[in-house]
Amino acid sequence: MSNVVVLDNGGGLIKAGQGGERDPAVVIPNCLYRPLTSKKFLHPTTTLSSTNEDLTSAAIRRPIDRGYLINPDLQRDIWSHLFTSLLHVTPSSSCLLLTEPLFSLPSIQRSTDELVFEDFGFNSLFVADSPSLVHLYESSRRPYGLVSEAQCSLVVDCGFSFTHAAPVFQNFTVNYGVKRIDLGGKALTNYLKELVSYRSVNVMDETFLMDDVKEKLCFVSLDVERDLQIARKHGKDNLFRCTYILPDGVTHTKGYVKDPEAAQRHLTLTDGAPPARAVETKKERDKLEVMEKTERKIMDLTKNEFDLTNERFLVPEMIFQPADLGMNEAGLAECIVRAVNACHPYLHPVLYQSIILTGGSTLFPRFAERLQKDLRPLVPDDYQVKITTQEDPILGVWRGGSLLASNPEFESMCVTKADYEELGSARCRRRFLH
Amino acid sequence: MDDDNSNAFRRMSSRTRKVAPKMAAALGSSDNRTQAALARLEALENDNTGIEAVEMNDDDEASLDDDDQAYMQKRFKGTKRKTRQAKALENARKAPRTFLELLHEANLESLPPHVPSYLRAAVGPPSSTSRRHFCSVCGFTASYTCVTCGMRFCSCRCQNIHNDTRCMKFVA
Repeated sequence: MSNVVVLDNGGGLIKAGQGGERDPAVVIPNCLYRPLTSKKFLHPTTTLSSTNEDLTSAAIRRPIDRGYLINPDLQRDIWSHLFTSLLHVTPSSSCLLLTEPLFSLPSIQRSTDELVFEDFGFNSLFVADSPSLVHLYESSRRPYGLVSEAQCSLVVDCGFSFTHAAPVFQNFTVNYGVKRIDLGGKALTNYLKELVSYRSVNVMDETFLMDDVKEKLCFVSLDVERDLQIARKHGKDNLFRCTYILPDGVTHTKGYVKDPEAAQRHLTLTDGAPPARAVETKKERDKLEVMEKTERKIMDLTKNEFDLTNERFLVPEMIFQPADLGMNEAGLAECIVRAVNACHPYLHPVLYQSIILTGGSTLFPRFAERLQKDLRPLVPDDYQVKITTQEDPILGVWRGGSLLASNPEFESMCVTKADYEELGSARCRRRFLH
Repeated sequence: MDDDNSNAFRRMSSRTRKVAPKMAAALGSSDNRTQAALARLEALENDNTGIEAVEMNDDDEASLDDDDQAYMQKRFKGTKRKTRQAKALENARKAPRTFLELLHEANLESLPPHVPSYLRAAVGPPSSTSRRHFCSVCGFTASYTCVTCGMRFCSCRCQNIHNDTRCMKFVA
């Protein structure tokens, strides 16, 4: 059996590696970037958050727009760098398992096939969609759990470009049940950029920086009204105020959170209860006051920092209520309900009990709790709602793909290069039920 | 910063081929408020907002001053403009098409209603029409609306900031 390359070609990150392994060998951003110091667009070699390069005002080119491949030339560039310098595979002797977004357009499928077979000359290809891979992975992890016994689940994939709620039944995505919200990590980062640029420093060019801010500081609020009141307070009563230091290009090229402990203070808030401040001892309070004074001094010296308060939870809030942004779309909870209602009534109770969260944007703290809170009133009383989070939502799809690739029957499901040359793109795609 | 942005948008609107469809719709619509809202949503899907404008400058070799010069030349000669336009057209042909263009080309509306497609997978409008409003300046609950552009603010202080810096920002 030839070796299988599993490639989860996301809009934000490419996850790639050999089939059968547990973790992908390579996780890189699916883009080319040009820092100010360079004239050419460069290939990322690792995730950009772990390099020490100065990425201030770096320009980005992405082959994927709104989740779909629109620039095959750019994608070819990125893939050839990936296959030759990072993965070290020879396409002509290997098989490719590629993920594709749901409802890809025929023209995009054709250009993807051309890329795989004509430009790279892969031996064979299997195209999978992410919800079914996530389902496969989760059901194999718990062989006696509900997901594998009932063979169905509702996969909520909140990724970089969009959010899908997709019912999966017997390892196939129920395509008439899939519902999509056009909001993902990219839109959230851009929204945060917009807010910060309005309110303190202009960061419209700093995509990588704001990605970092979003990942480190944003969280999902369980009670927006209450949290807005808290965010209005001054001094240390304000549990959300938090300072982010911008890179200065001399001593540090990465921005960082000024006081990581204070940034976690919002986690002390419990659902419904007033903020638990009474537990603080006087000593701690004094210490905080001293710290605050010193902080104020530092702030006068260096101006390259900004404060975040209500932005921290109003940004992820958009996934739950896109209407607040002026989008005429329902929130995530309602999206799930509609996806379930599109399926057969016999499936409803099982689907509500096996909701699986995946995708990078579900990493916001308390995402699952909030979803549970929003979803419960919308679901009939006699159904249980159970939301499972993946241990690593970014890699969940890839792991499912790796598992599928190690299946002994995998090879027979692929479309070979000969098939493609004989039948063409459109008829090959029918094998994957697209 | 606001200067930069308004320049970027003015530049975009001056060349219709580069303008995103929603932006074009926004510019075409006479209602300022929908214009602003649509343009803002479109901007959320941009990869690099500020930089794109700079890149356009690069391949045009034109700064603002040059533009003025070109404008002057155009008034006298009228030949300069043609070459520029041809160049822009050529660039547009070479440039990858956006997803919305591809979507339009795929003509999904013509499919029968029972076939699931990209368009039919959209979640659709929310069941409740009530919308929370947040102050565009400070982010708290906003009770007032700007009469000119429809953006929200919460207090007199925020209103002043709004009027000074960002009222009608997205409207070319």
